[in-house]
Parts: sequence; C-alpha cells; structure tokens
Amino acid sequence: MSQTTAPIDFRANAQRIPPKMAASVQKATAKFLGNRAALVEALGNDLWQTLRQAGHDLRLHAITHLDHYLEQAERAVTAAGGHVHWAPDAAEANRIVLTIARRHGVKKVVKSKSMATEETGLNHAMEAEGIQVIETDLGEYIVQLLGVGPAHIVVPAFHLSKEEIADLFREKLGVVADAEAERLTQVARVKLREEFLTAGLGISGGNFLIAETGTVVTVTNEGNGRMCTTIPPVHVAIVGIDKVVPDWESLTVLLKLLARSATGQKITCYTSFISGPPRSPSETGPREFHLVLLDNGRSRILGSPETRETLLCIRCGACLNICPVFNTVGGYTYGYPISGPTGMLFASQILGMQAAGGLPFASTLCGACNDICPVKIPITDILLHLRHRVVEGDEQEGAVAPAILRAGAKAGSVALRTPWLYRLGSTMLKWLQAPLARDGWISTLPPPLNRWTMARPFPAFAPDFRGWWRSRGRGRQP
Amino acid sequence: MDPAREEILAKVRASLDRGPDSPAPPVPPMARVGPRSAGSVDAEIALLFSEIENLNGNVRRLAGREDLKSALAKLVKVEAVKKATLWTTADLATWDVAGTLKALGVEIVSPQADKHLVAECELGVTGVDAALPETGSLLLRSSPERPRVVSLLPGVHLAILTRAALRADLHQVFAEAKDAGYCVLVTGPSCTSDIELTLTLGVHGPKSLYVWLLEAG
Repeated sequence: MSQTTAPIDFRANAQRIPPKMAASVQKATAKFLGNRAALVEALGNDLWQTLRQAGHDLRLHAITHLDHYLEQAERAVTAAGGHVHWAPDAAEANRIVLTIARRHGVKKVVKSKSMATEETGLNHAMEAEGIQVIETDLGEYIVQLLGVGPAHIVVPAFHLSKEEIADLFREKLGVVADAEAERLTQVARVKLREEFLTAGLGISGGNFLIAETGTVVTVTNEGNGRMCTTIPPVHVAIVGIDKVVPDWESLTVLLKLLARSATGQKITCYTSFISGPPRSPSETGPREFHLVLLDNGRSRILGSPETRETLLCIRCGACLNICPVFNTVGGYTYGYPISGPTGMLFASQILGMQAAGGLPFASTLCGACNDICPVKIPITDILLHLRHRVVEGDEQEGAVAPAILRAGAKAGSVALRTPWLYRLGSTMLKWLQAPLARDGWISTLPPPLNRWTMARPFPAFAPDFRGWWRSRGRGRQP
Repeated sequence: MDPAREEILAKVRASLDRGPDSPAPPVPPMARVGPRSAGSVDAEIALLFSEIENLNGNVRRLAGREDLKSALAKLVKVEAVKKATLWTTADLATWDVAGTLKALGVEIVSPQADKHLVAECELGVTGVDAALPETGSLLLRSSPERPRVVSLLPGVHLAILTRAALRADLHQVFAEAKDAGYCVLVTGPSCTSDIELTLTLGVHGPKSLYVWLLEAG
C-alpha cells in the first residue's frame, strides 16, 4: 500500500474539469460502444455470453492458482534464455529496470504503452537518473509532451483537438504541420522512428502472460509495441502478476473478447507473442529479454475473496465507456492511470482507503459496467464491499470514514429501528420544519444542511403516515 | 534464493490458502468456445480477402509466376520502390522474388544489415506461416530466415501466401504457433485513432499491406 500518495479527492477533481471534457468523452465512448455493439450482434448474443462466462471462469482459475502459474511461467522464460525478476512493490520494480538500464549504459528508452509502469512511476524514476524515456504510443506520446497522464486507458489523448495537438508539436518539437490527423500522425512517425532506431532499451507491458510457455502477449494497433520489443538490443517487459493466463487455448477466448470490447475491432493490427529472446544468434531481435513480475498489492487483493475478482480485468476499457460518471467527468478525475469502474477497484485497493477511499463512492451503482465487462467482474458488488470497508473496516483495512460520520450513521440506524424514537423524531421534524416550509418546499437550511439547499429545494415532510392512517379510521374511510 | 520471489509467492499462497506443495490445478475450464469449421477453399479465400480489404489492405490472386512478376512490376511503380528487404525462406527463393525485384532495378538490402539501412527500404516482402480468414489475420513467425524487421520497418509490407497457409480458426493457429518462439499476428496495416478518434494508417508499422495469394508457384 502506498504510504506517500496524497488522498484522491474525486469531488474536488470533478469541479476542475475543462468545460468541453464531457462532450469529448462522450464522442469517443459512443464510437467505441457503437463499434462494439455491432460486433457483438454479428457474433450473436448467445456466443458472446458463452465467451464472457468462459473468460470469467478461466481468469478466475488462473488467479486462484496463481502461484503455480507464476512458477510455470518463470521456468518457461528461463528455459528460453530470458531473465525473470520479481518486484514486490513499485519502488523495487523501478529499481530492477534502472539496474538493467545502467548495466547497459542506456541513455534513451523507448516505451510502449504500459499501465503497470504508470502505476510504478517508472518514467519519473528513470528521468531522475538522467535517462530519457520516450512514450511511443501516439496518444501517450502526445500526453507525455503535454506533461500529463492518460485520460483513458485505450485512447490517452482523445480529449485533445487536432488544433491543440498541432500547437503542441509546434511548441515542443519545433515542427509546423497542418492540424489534420494524417499529417500529425506522420510527424510522430518520423520523429519516433529515429528514437526507435537509436534507443538502448525497449520497455513494454504485457496484456497477458501465458504460463504454458512463458509468453508475453502484447495487443496493439500502431506497431510501436513491435518496435520497442524488436529494435533495441534489450527488452524489458513489466507485467502485473494478475495478467497470467494458463495456456494458449485459454488465450483464444480472451483475444475474442478483448478488441471487440475495447474498440470494436475483431482483433487489433498486431498481436505479438514474445517467448524469451530470439532462439538462435542469427535471428534478429533483442539480445536480452527481461520479464519483471509486479505485485504491488495484487497478492493482497487476492486475499480478499469478496474483491479478488478485481484481478480478472483484461483492461479493455468497456466499463469506462459505458459508465455515466466517467462520461461526465473523464479519466483525470479519478487521480489514477486506470480510471472508470475498474480504476476505482484497482486504485482503492492498491493505494488503500486512506488515499483512495472516496473512489468506491464515485459511482451511481447503475450496474451498466457489470453487463458490459467481458469477463463478468461483479463490479458493483465489489464497490459495495469496498464502501463497507471504508465505513466499517474489514480484515484487510480498518475503517477510514470520519468518526462523526460513522457515529451519525449508527445513530440514524438506531432511530429508525426503535419505534418510540422514530415517532418522537417524526413529531419533532413537524415542529422544526414549520418556520422553514413554504408551499410544501424547504428552500433554505442552516449549515451544514445548506449543502443540499444550495443546489435545489428539499420537499417538506408530509403529515406523518401513522396519524393520517388513524384519522382515516385505519383505512376504513377513503 | 531470491527473497523478493519468495516474498511474493508466500503472499500469493497465503491469500489463496495454498502451500508450496499444493496440488497442481485441474486442467483449466475448456476454452474451445465457438470453434470454426472451414468452408470451401474458395470461400475461405474470399473471406480472407474481404476482411483484409475492409481493413484497408490490398489483395490479389496470382495464377502463377508470370502473374507474380507483373504484379511486382506494378507494385514497384505504384509504391516507388527503390530498396527492398526480404525473408530468405525457401518459398521466396523458389519464387525468385529477390531476382525479379533486382531485374526491376530495386536494390536488395539484407534484413541482417544495420537497422538504419533496413529502415530505408520502401518494401518488405515476407511469406505467411498461417492465415486466418475469419479476421483477415496473418501469422508471421520469427527465425533466421524470417527476420522480424522485414514486416515492420519498411512502409510497404507485401505478404505472399499459398493455399497451404489457410487455417480454420485461432485454435488451429495456436496449436502450431505455441512452441515456435516469437510470432506476430498481423491484421491490416498499422493504424490508430488516437487523434480525435480519426482513423489514420501507417503510424509506426507499415502504412500499406499487400496480401497476394500465389496459386501455382
């Protein structure tokens, strides 16, 4: 658990989003959802539901036997000539990568998109040691130039206009180009090509790790993933231990689910399968392959049966796309590289409730995410349990909700289930509201209750039901 | 004994109530969901081609070596190819693709050459180890004769396949690929919608993908 993270204040962040964010988010998510729906319809709903259940079952199987599969993956990678490193936390993961970089005298690193490395803050750690780190996924490259994190796990820069990107390229790269997607993409292609060809180290994440053969699978569209894992002489893959898949057969299910759920493609342009370094000296590719297995709180999440299905996530982003909250506030509000429903689950459990205890409440519990999740994670069930953890505590963490709130909730609970207290309360409310109610509405209240009436009026309490019932002769008169 | 490794495995086991000697898990739940039987060869080829075309790839069916020669001549002209790099597999050698290109005035660059030189090639020519009609995907392996950069660095990727490459579904492809080392499933040219959700081609990988089926080599 991170001890040093400033608490994430979702509400405060939500006040600070730029005015056009909601429109940009909704434009992007509508497109992905539309494409996804078309493909699901083409497959047939029955098959889709069968795939979802199979995906859920095999991912659950993988994480509930995680020690076995991690050891199997390690044996396979080592037998193939690769190196396996184990990182219990973020700091250790960064240290491992830095050690490898230093040993090779690396000055420049090219990186393909990896949420795990955003989580560990790898870029900052490397730059602090004077190593240049270049994000090569186009969206990540853009937000890196801007100095911010990703706004969506699949399309990090979706909220920026082409004019803003053109200005950014002019300012940061000294390149003048028309504000047109094709031209801007070409600018990035040319710039990044040189970086790929001269970098001393390529870093990737891994969408999946196949235990059977120790194979890191990367799912990409641009080709930067292939570049980072083929051109530089050393390749380091940082993969969360939750990414394990038992075998290739299981992977077929997940590949059928992933791209359809994420962007509405049947499959992405490039799905790469990396099993250690090249097998013979005359085969081109990196001379050294390193796999860094990242724990950073995942083993602890595993220990909570009510919430361990958090780890089934295959990072498709579908839950982000469908979430009404995400569609209103965008990704930055969550204060964590993974946002939206799955982000709430990860952030609050990896950072702990002191830092991220507000996140499980940033949901209307509408449940749309449950229905769209390709591996059937019971997201709202887990959110409810996490709320319980915040307010009352559980085996993993003590309660973090303020004592006064807990006391108030307790008092309310007592009042509602004690008949004489309830009757007393409703009589008192009738008297208390008399000076405040006008035409059935209360439009102002004293603080702190004015936090309600600042935005809208409160309905006045009607005459109590019991009195009304008695006065009507217990229902005998209409 | 790596203490970090022991720490992580111990935590995982504690979380799952498993010990170091806990039994190996039962065979994972059957994942053979929706296996596909191939249609007729012609139907499969038609499906493969239509999927690739939907992704902005270019497809052609070539009757034989003469057809291949004229198709290459056209490609060299259309894509203004001055330099090319190729796989050195037996198939490509038999079809004499390098020879044909040389005769067209194209300089052949070895894929084992310095990566800057390979990056200057306009064209990369590969074979296809397996083709998946249902998604229009091509499986390319890696080996001394199949350098990875050939299908990655040049702006134009030409993949020549025969009927023998066709596979019914991903299960078949994986059964063959899983012990073969590095491989990549290529589906269409490189693309992104990172800028305003507008689709653009040729981000880092090839901008143009040509897939030719050679009937009689």
